[in-house]
This record gives sequence, structure tokens and C-alpha cells, in this order.
Amino acid sequence: MRGFRALPVCATVLVAAGLVLTLRGQTAGDWRLQILEHVGLPAIDEGMIADESHTPSSPETLRRAALLEALLQDRAGASGGHYRPGRVIVKFRDEAAMPDRRAAVRAASDTGEIAVRPSYADFDIVRIDPAEDAEEAASMLRQRPEVQYAQAAYRVHALFVPNDPVYAQQWNLPMINMEKAWDIQPQAGSAITVAVIDTGMAYENATITPTLQSFRSRNGTVYPALGPVVIPYSAAPQLVSATGSSRIVAPYDFVNERATPLDFDGHGTHVSGTIGQLTNDGIGTAGVAFNVKLMPVKVLASEWDLLFAGFTNISNVGGSDDDVARGLRYAADNGAKVINMSLGSSGPANCATNPNQNDCSPVIEAALRYAVGKGCFITIAGGNEFEDNVPPFGVNPTSVLAEIASRIPGVVSVAAVDRGKNHAYYSSTGSYIELSAPGGSERGFGSAGFVRQQTFDSNLTDTFLLSPSEFHAPRFDVFGNIGYIGTSMAAPHVAGVAAMLMQQGVTDPAAIEDLLEKTAIDLGAAGRDDTFGFGLVDARNALRGLGLAK
Amino acid sequence: MKTAIPALLVAVALAAPAAAQRPPQRPPVRAPVPPVPPAPPISFRPFVVGTEESFAAIDTFDAGFGHTYGPFFGGGLQVLFRDRFYLELGASRFKQTGQRAFLSGGRPFRVGIPLTATITPLEVTGGYRFRLRRLPRVRPYVGAGFGSYGYRETSEFSDAGENVDTRHSGTVLNGGAEFRLHRWVGLGADVQYTHVPGILGLGGVSQQAGENDLGGVAVRVKLVVGR
Repeated sequence: MRGFRALPVCATVLVAAGLVLTLRGQTAGDWRLQILEHVGLPAIDEGMIADESHTPSSPETLRRAALLEALLQDRAGASGGHYRPGRVIVKFRDEAAMPDRRAAVRAASDTGEIAVRPSYADFDIVRIDPAEDAEEAASMLRQRPEVQYAQAAYRVHALFVPNDPVYAQQWNLPMINMEKAWDIQPQAGSAITVAVIDTGMAYENATITPTLQSFRSRNGTVYPALGPVVIPYSAAPQLVSATGSSRIVAPYDFVNERATPLDFDGHGTHVSGTIGQLTNDGIGTAGVAFNVKLMPVKVLASEWDLLFAGFTNISNVGGSDDDVARGLRYAADNGAKVINMSLGSSGPANCATNPNQNDCSPVIEAALRYAVGKGCFITIAGGNEFEDNVPPFGVNPTSVLAEIASRIPGVVSVAAVDRGKNHAYYSSTGSYIELSAPGGSERGFGSAGFVRQQTFDSNLTDTFLLSPSEFHAPRFDVFGNIGYIGTSMAAPHVAGVAAMLMQQGVTDPAAIEDLLEKTAIDLGAAGRDDTFGFGLVDARNALRGLGLAK
Repeated sequence: MKTAIPALLVAVALAAPAAAQRPPQRPPVRAPVPPVPPAPPISFRPFVVGTEESFAAIDTFDAGFGHTYGPFFGGGLQVLFRDRFYLELGASRFKQTGQRAFLSGGRPFRVGIPLTATITPLEVTGGYRFRLRRLPRVRPYVGAGFGSYGYRETSEFSDAGENVDTRHSGTVLNGGAEFRLHRWVGLGADVQYTHVPGILGLGGVSQQAGENDLGGVAVRVKLVVGR
């Protein structure tokens, strides 16, 4: 027993010594984040955590949003949509020769240059001066005959509202009839890979060594520099078994362009848990398709991604439409059969008829069609802005990606219901809503209305919400079963059921969407409606298919 | 039962050469032609029947079983009146196991869950048997009638009330010919059309396909015992 304890202690000392030597070698201007993979102690699982307090309008939520906005340095477009400055996403027509393409770019922007095409892209990035209006440049490019589409790199964001964790049943899984679905398919999707396009995933142990600079929040509060720090990072024990990470397939981080898409937010890990939380192990929570293989594809930047990058590199931190498009293509090319996108953005309602306008995302639409063509079924969160006024689109604006989903067979937009199968107060409505799934809500149910999965204890990760005097380095090795609400939580339920359908041999994405819609439990007005779509997904009904006469 | 039809065909094939065999040639002897015995006013003739039916609900059966036809086996009793009119009572059974399925874009997709469908027709038909002067051993016939069609559908992982067990009426039309193999044995072959509404089309794949007829067109072979 003494020897057993001595081993991790010695390992920790050696790692710490190595890190000290490494970090001392860094210069003041070297802000690169180092990730030592597979180096770290096991995670701490705190089980249910009830001492966190976040609501949609809580001070914590507002401060988190303000910090992100302050760090991102995004520009607001004419319509209010936020985009990454200094770049325009352009799809040139195939027949356009390179000199013509360059001429088109020069006509749109004096500083415009076609960058080296990134991996997993069928489009180009045109670099422009960050001070230039990217929407204006995109608009001018769209006038050119050489250009198929051009758009600013609109920022996408996770569609969730974190909330209090509770000690309660996982009402969401029985609601979609999972117990009987597991009777039908105990293997729960073991042959299927589900890509989670999100903030990353807590899928491996690591030690990360950023150098934290001083930063200023949006309200002007200055936080002190912490300098080089050593941050422990662990795989979520309810996501990756202690025997290793064999269920993890082809991870990639398009935010930071590296092969380690570690989640520094918790959203992607929570969403992954709904899809594939380890189940029947006597601890924690359950997931829908608990044996699937998981492909973490990081396209959303969190506060820590920006703080770890340091301000000299912050413009290189991704999280916009082009990263989502590349992530989709990457997932499709690397064996994913189901893709979950718990993310979105608001925009005009007529992107279908006029995709070449600001705040539409033709680059993502093209990538979605590509992925479906490769046999991927895709779920997209329906949007959380039902009560929000988003100028100039007004209250309950169209969720751009969900609207695209409604036009592509094999891509489904998912609205959220609460514990009582009612419309969740935040869930966007519109003609583009196709299905519903549990997204949770505290209204009328309190903390019992949340969707709970294992993810980071945000008391220990979101230290930027503390006062400057209390600010300290985060740690990403403490987990709990945390309650979230949002259409972000609804979409992965459908993704999990789709993975189980794939496991049963139904591999056509359009057919899967068709079956999910036909076997859904109709809610609200009879037939399809703008609130619930075709209704609440029913895993058991879908897996059973139809009889001949009944 | 699957061997009944081939056995029957073999019997028919053997019967013809046997009939063609003749003893060594002898001088013709003029014997008095025995009078044809008058047909009894009523006779009872049991029969067994094998059927291959092409179902009208093409998309429904294709989705569940991967093909649109299937065999029925059964039997019954035929009552002849003065050798010309008949009334026939028959019962048969179809049973096949496929998979639960669904249609999308007009294409069938099976979900891997076993489904067993059983059809049990009880049919009553009446008709008329023609006489052919040049072919006295062949008796063409046409008939019509009605039936009661049982349909049972069971699947794995079904809850109470999710399986189907129902019976509905339908109509029958048939026509064919009976070939007398022996004084007491006849072989009939006919084509039968059945129309059975009320079972399919109310749910499941058949509703998706817009198909509501459990019937179809069948080729039947009957072995009849009796004069």
C-alpha cells in the first residue's frame, strides 16, 4: 500500500520538476500554451454539486459574457452580428483563375490577400486589415462573378444556460423512453462514432502550462497577471473509463489548430455526457448511447482559450463560421456518422432565399451538405432566444444554423421542452423547428428541471468570475453532475438516438430524420408546429420502427 | 407443406407417361361402350391447396420481408351439384417472419427487429364448371365469393396492445381448370384475386405506403379427391 501511494507522489514530483525547468526557459514574450498529454493525476469526482448558483440573468452569467466579449475583440456588423475581424470567408467559383480571384479580392479590399487554404476547407480565407469592415468587403466580393459566396466570419456560441446542479432523477432520459430503447439495443451504439462539435471535451489527463497575463474585463476591472502556472487537467471519469480513452476517435481543436481539443468551458463535456455518458457502472449519471465512440472537435472558444492564448495571439483563436465548417468536414472525413452541434447564431429569416447577405452562413450550409453526403446525420440546437430581443432581428430571431438544418434532409433542428413536456421558455420557435427533446427549465420546476451530466465544477474553473484579489489559476480535474438548460442539451439527446439507429443498420441520414419525425410524440398543435416541430423524440418508438399494419 | 407442390407436380408428370403406356398391340375388339354413369346430384370433394400470392400491398410487404409474394397452404371441401355448380369452403395460412421497417423517400428501411405476420383466410366461393366435349377430363371453372381474413402481427419488444390480431371480410374471384388424373383424383389450377380492405392502411408501413388491401393475385394448385 505504501508503495502504491509512493508511485503517484514520485510521478508528481518528477512532472513538477520538469515543468519548473520548462517554464523557466520561457521568455516573457513566449505565451504559447504547452499541453503535456497523459501527464496528471486522476480526476476528482464530487458527485452532485449543489453549491453553484447560475441563472440566465445571474451576475455570474452576465460577467462571463462580458469577459468573453472583452477578450474576443470581435466587431459588430451592421446588423449587430459579431464577427472575427481581419478575415472574410470566400468561396470562389471553380472556373475562376487565380489572377481573377486576386483581382476580385483587390477590388474589394486594398489590404486583401488570399491566405493559404486551411485544412478541411473548400473555401478560402481572405485576410484583410482588422480595421476594415469585413461585412462590407464580403458584400463587395459577392458582387464579383468569380465569387460563389462571401461572408464575414460570424461568431457562433454555445446554446446553453448553466444552472444549479441538483440531486434528483435524470427525468430527461425516461421522458424520451430510453429505458425501453436500451432493452431493444443494450449495446447502445458501440459501433458508431459521434462527433461533438463544441468547446472540446475532457477526454484525457494532461498538465497544461500557460502563462497568464493581466486582463481587463468589460467593466474595466483589471485582473492581475499570474505568470506561468501549472494547471491540472483530467478526463471526465464518467466519459472515459479508467481503462483508457479507446472510445475517443480523432480529436482535433480548430480553435487553436492542434490535436488536443481540451474543453476549458465544460459545455462540450456536458453535451458529450448526454450523448455517451458511461452508464450501468453504478455511479454518476447516464447517457443516451453510452457505448458510442466520441470524436471531440473543438470549434468554440471559451474564456480560458483566450486567456491562455495571451493577447498577442488572441486574433488567432478561432470559434467562427469557418472553424465550424472545417470541423464538420473534418468529422465527416474521419469516420463520424453522427454529428452534434449544440451551437448557433441569430440572423435574418430569409437566408434560404438570399444566402448572400450578412449574418447568413453559406459556408456552414455547404459543409453540412458535404457531411450529409458522406453519410453523417447531424443535430443542431434550435436556438435559445425565444424571449430575447436581438436587434435588428427582434424578439425570437431566426437561429441561422437551425434554419439551414430544416432545409437539408439528414440535418435536424431541435427545440427544447421542460420537465413537464412544455415549451421551454427560452427555446426559439419558427418554421425551422423539426423536433423537440429535453432541454430543461427552472421555471416551474426549480433545480429539479435541469439536465444533469458530468462536467467540470465551475467553482474551480471559472475563477475569472471571482474578484481580482481572489483570482487564481483554474483547475480542470474536479467534476460533478451539473445541471444545464438549453437547446444545447436537447440536441444531443437526438444525436444519441440517431447513433443507436445507425447501430441498427439505418444509415441513411435523411431516412433517420424521417423516422425520428414520424415516431415523435406529437406535442402542442396537432401535426408539425413551430414550437415543437414534429414533437418529442421517442427513442423506443424510433428504434422499433413500424410494423406492417400498426 | 413446402414439399406438397413439387410432389404434386411430379405426380402429374408421372401420370401423363403412365397413361401413354399401352400393352402390346392386340386386334381390336369391339366391345360395347359402357354408358356414362349419371353424375350424382350432389358430391363432396375434399381438397388440399397450395398458393403463391403476389400481394397487392407491394411496398408494405417489400419493406417487411424483402419481397412481395408468399405461399399459403390449406385445404377445404368442395360440394358439387349435378357436376356443374359448386360451393367451396377453404381455409389456408400464410406465416412469415421479417423485420419491422419504415419507408423514407419511397425506399424501405428495416430496423432489425423481428416481425412475424400470419394471414388466415377462410373463404366461401361458388361457381360453375364447364364441360369441354373434346376434352372430357378437363373442367374449366369460374367462381366468386367472400372470405374472412385473419391477420396477426407480432414483434419483439412489443407492449400489450401493440401487436395486431384482427379479422376482416373480403371478396374473392377465381377461375381455372380441373384436370382429372384418376377417377377419384383431380388436379386443379387457377388464378384467384382477393380484395381485403380494413386491415392494412390504418397504421405502420402500410399507412406510409397508402396501401389498404391485404389481398392480391394468387396462383393456386388444388388436389381434389372425389368424383
